[in-house]
Amino acid sequence: MDVMNSGESDLMGRVRATRVGRSIWRTPKKVTPRDRAAGHWSSFALHIYPVKVRKAELGFKYSWYLGVISTVLFGSLVVSGVWLMFFFVPSPGQAYTNIQTLQTEVPFGQYLRNVHRWSAHLMVLTVAMHMAKVFYRGAYKAPREFNWVIGVVLLVLTLLMSFTGYLLPWDQLAYWAVTVGTEMAAYVPVVGDRVQSLLLGGNTVGQATLLRFYVLHVAVLPLAIVVMLTFHLWRWRKDSMLDFDRGEPDA
Amino acid sequence: MPEKKLMNKNSPKDVVTDKTPTASAATPVAIGRKDPALLEGRRVLGMVPGKPVAGQRKEPAEDDMVMVYPHLLVRHAVAAMSVLLLVLLVAIFFDAPLRAIANPTVTPNPEKAPWYFAALQELLAHFHPLIAGVLIPGAIILGLVALPYIDRSVFILASHRKVAVATFTTFMVVWIALTIVGFAFRGPNWGWVWPWQEWHGEL
Repeated sequence: MDVMNSGESDLMGRVRATRVGRSIWRTPKKVTPRDRAAGHWSSFALHIYPVKVRKAELGFKYSWYLGVISTVLFGSLVVSGVWLMFFFVPSPGQAYTNIQTLQTEVPFGQYLRNVHRWSAHLMVLTVAMHMAKVFYRGAYKAPREFNWVIGVVLLVLTLLMSFTGYLLPWDQLAYWAVTVGTEMAAYVPVVGDRVQSLLLGGNTVGQATLLRFYVLHVAVLPLAIVVMLTFHLWRWRKDSMLDFDRGEPDA
Repeated sequence: MPEKKLMNKNSPKDVVTDKTPTASAATPVAIGRKDPALLEGRRVLGMVPGKPVAGQRKEPAEDDMVMVYPHLLVRHAVAAMSVLLLVLLVAIFFDAPLRAIANPTVTPNPEKAPWYFAALQELLAHFHPLIAGVLIPGAIILGLVALPYIDRSVFILASHRKVAVATFTTFMVVWIALTIVGFAFRGPNWGWVWPWQEWHGEL
């Protein structure tokens, strides 16, 4: 096409053409559309995307980009969350003071806590909207039924993520919201009390609860989300062409 | 059954009659559209699990497709950066709340769950906890998981699956209403308050 894609006339093209460059980017010179498709195909960064999509799938109207937005918010949460972990000890004696110190003494501490908090609320919202949008578009239909199910699992994981994180600041808001939430678990028939004490690590919200919620929040649930999200995107990628195989019958 | 309908609708004959104005023109077009791997009466290739056989497949028109790079990627990048910008701006102007240190002996009134559980908490005020806290959320999750296996018609357009759309919309409207009520319209002892008079919502 133009200079960008012709290969060697720009700086990036010259870097790519060196011996080292060729060992990193295994892409042919981008001359024909076929070359560009091959370049996409062999790119690690682009491997979650199909090479081509239908024009109809490009616009805002199709998806409102809610899947992308949710994924980006998850990324924002991982980055700000890992940063917050440096300043936080999950114990009732320290958690609250840690947050106070973070807000008053750590550079950008309050700001990154804000980013984490608002990203989390927004992610719950966008994941739920993503589900609604997929429903109204009819994108849960065969052959994508199971990807919808994975999506529901991701919604539940997002809610659990948000709920476990809610306790960590160890303020009145956190303490009583989690008390209300875990009291509900006690009403599950037969195993309710055991489920509740498993969550709490005792009879009330306390030291054990904070540690359990912390471990769930920073390790177990994020890993579960990463695994399920990978699966979700892989199915999306593989199913990207299947849409052509079925059509809307005439009304 | 849905599968049968799908096969009939996508059979080469139907595709041809859709596109051709007269019956006499049907034959040459049909030959033109035939998959080369499809011998008369025998399917040689095109058996991919989950896909209809080659001859019954709708192929995308070549000019219907665009390269993901740059067309889709640039849009995704704009969406990603817009939402990041939004979060980074909101974080400048609004601080995350931090109340007094947790005190098991002082119960705040009202005692509120996070906003995404406000609908459940509102239900708890009206039904037995077994119903509101266990059966209803359980039924919602099971219903969502089962949805694609219940609504198995081939119809995609919302106007062609009225029952599913009506059910889902009703659920969404009720759920959003309950969330708003639980979040903003409930005060001490879970009594009714007007949000412009007393604000008890917590984020």
